[in-house]
Amino acid sequence: MWRVKEVGHKAGRHGGTLEQLRLKRRQQEKSLRQARRDRQLVSKRLLHVENEDDSEVSMDAASEVEDVVGLLHKLHQSGPDKEVNLRAMSKALRDPSTQLTFIKQENSIHLLVGLLTGSDARCRLLALQCLHELSHSPHTSVSLTCLPASSYLLTYLSGQSTRFTELCLYTLGNLCPDGDAVTEKLLAQGIIPALANCMESQRHNLAVVEAAAFTLSQLLQTRTAAQNIIPTVLASRLPSLLLSVLTPEPEFGPAPAIECAWCLHYLTSSTKDNRELLTGGALQQCSSLLGTLGGAVTAGKRDEGLELLLCPLLRCVGNLLCCCPVEELSSQVGGASFMVTLCAIIHTYLHTRPSLAREAAWVLNNATAHCSQICSALLSLNLVPALINLLLFSEGINVMILRTLANVAHKNKESSVQLVEHGLLAALCTTLKMADQEMVTLSLEVLFLLVDGSSKIAKEFVRQGGLALLEVIQFNSEREMRERASYLLHQHFVSYDQ
Amino acid sequence: CPRPQLFPPYTDSKYRVDIGIRQYSSFVCRKKNRPQVPFPELLLCCSVSELACHISGCSGTFSTLEDYEHHYNTLHRHVCCSCRRSLPSARLLDIHIQEWHDPLFTILAQRQDMYQCLVEGCGLKFSTSKHRKEHLIRIHKYPPDFRFDRGKKEKGAQELKRQQPKDDMAMDVVQDVCDSEGTCDLMCNVSCSDQLEPGESMETQVLKDKGDGLPSSASTEDPSTDAQHRTALKPQYSYRVPSTVCFGHGSVRGFRGRRGRRK
Repeated sequence: MWRVKEVGHKAGRHGGTLEQLRLKRRQQEKSLRQARRDRQLVSKRLLHVENEDDSEVSMDAASEVEDVVGLLHKLHQSGPDKEVNLRAMSKALRDPSTQLTFIKQENSIHLLVGLLTGSDARCRLLALQCLHELSHSPHTSVSLTCLPASSYLLTYLSGQSTRFTELCLYTLGNLCPDGDAVTEKLLAQGIIPALANCMESQRHNLAVVEAAAFTLSQLLQTRTAAQNIIPTVLASRLPSLLLSVLTPEPEFGPAPAIECAWCLHYLTSSTKDNRELLTGGALQQCSSLLGTLGGAVTAGKRDEGLELLLCPLLRCVGNLLCCCPVEELSSQVGGASFMVTLCAIIHTYLHTRPSLAREAAWVLNNATAHCSQICSALLSLNLVPALINLLLFSEGINVMILRTLANVAHKNKESSVQLVEHGLLAALCTTLKMADQEMVTLSLEVLFLLVDGSSKIAKEFVRQGGLALLEVIQFNSEREMRERASYLLHQHFVSYDQ
Repeated sequence: CPRPQLFPPYTDSKYRVDIGIRQYSSFVCRKKNRPQVPFPELLLCCSVSELACHISGCSGTFSTLEDYEHHYNTLHRHVCCSCRRSLPSARLLDIHIQEWHDPLFTILAQRQDMYQCLVEGCGLKFSTSKHRKEHLIRIHKYPPDFRFDRGKKEKGAQELKRQQPKDDMAMDVVQDVCDSEGTCDLMCNVSCSDQLEPGESMETQVLKDKGDGLPSSASTEDPSTDAQHRTALKPQYSYRVPSTVCFGHGSVRGFRGRRGRRK
């Protein structure tokens, strides 16, 4: 979707009268409400027809309905104008009410399936386009009518026509959210091996790779994915194929990488230990890819494609860091550029996409949690001062950053000293005053880490007027905060009581 | 405006046939007296850059490279040399050749399970195609009339009864290949001995209607082609190569003895 050549998204269709637009919007809203009810954001894609004259006058609803019935009749008779009629049909089927009429006609789907498997190549493509339009409908009553064609769609995945294969893939992908029966059938018909073969044999055809990854991502988001689908996917060649596509091609755009990254995210977030992915080098690749994106991040121009790639990548890395054995951490995680990019993401997206900034901070936290090399790198790369400045911001970012700094302080005394030199104590004096309880509690813990065993730091804190803050906190309503403040005062600052 | 004639239509089939094989990449061939694809835009196109299918005998014309490639991929890519069936993938073609045209397969199948499940990744094999079909329906939820698993004996008469006479979609793939406009007359000799079986009246009927004297011409070629088939223990690479590629003068695949052309 975020490729140089644009692919249409459902909302992006132009044309149509006001009434049609209203109808479409009503249907979209209805389907969104339905989706939220199902706690699942249904995402379907529609592949635009290329080389088409979009400026044609759209007919009114009534005549289109008549037309579809008439067209069907003509097609059943299998006359010489098969292709022309089919083309007209595929255009007519863009309209939701026409779709409803179509599926109610006897043998309509049977006809399409017959044409889909017939000997006329163009008719196959047009019939597929019709099915694709139907699959895109938010009404399962419409989209599920495509299900009988699934065995053929899967068989055709090993074909070589780019557009045809793309349409098959997007149609299959559109069907995935439509219920357990769909997933069951597709799995029974071998969708996972078919997708793996398709991605592998077509790996140089990025449009097909993107479509295959989209379909896989739809499959991975289904309700029963964790039990039924993910183990099989992990056992197949798909993870390594996905990883091999991660680096975006400059000419084609980031779309295939984006789809693959989302697939990896669904995999890493559903699996407990992610052993297979870790062995396959997922952490290494994702983190080093993040490292290479640093330049694009700091360049600063708003790039939706980049953001869509960063989001799943960050989540993958964050989850994989949790599962990675401690002793392998420093070798798996890409070096300096990785850290620099994380900090760059936090700073760049702080105001424009705070969620992205927060997730980058989360990754930073996970990276520093168990690995002292990474903690040292943070200091030696001089990334800390900028991080300390961020402690003033909210949206959950300061909590994550403070956790990260706590990780660093925890490593050794030398780190604590350096942190103080960079101004952490002064920052704490501010954070201890914040309304955010989590922030205050965390600040108290960090303070403990810093002053524990270092009277020098304790003295500095007192000098900066921090005692008064602790005293105030002793009377806070939250027990955790009271306890910590009291403990600090009586254990570490007792000699400074005035 | 009328479409310019880039090359005069060839009337001498033998001459055309020779040219068709050797100058595969640059020759534009059209079927004589065959109406062009009735797509209005194409008819208006006078541009020289229009594409046509190079497979001799095929009348497909296209306005975009994508269209042409799709046509080629659909109809000419995985074609069985013996019976001209077009299969959707290399794997299904392999299976088809093995099951339909490999005599050794029949022998082995009497002793062991040889019919592979069509679903990639399944790996199971069955003793008969019927068992395989049941498996496909039951386990893989395939439709009972899956078009790429037609048994050698089951098509034809059955379908005639079921469907309306001119219902295009009812016909078997082979028949479609014979019938439709986009079809290609494959250069290979039809190994009719494989197909003249009781249940297949429809197909042979078609052959008789559309080709003149094909069975008789095939018989002169049979010894060599049959020998080729018999010695093929597994599908050879040559089965999948488009028939218009010439492997030299000695190549059996050709038009020698082929009388006349299809309509």
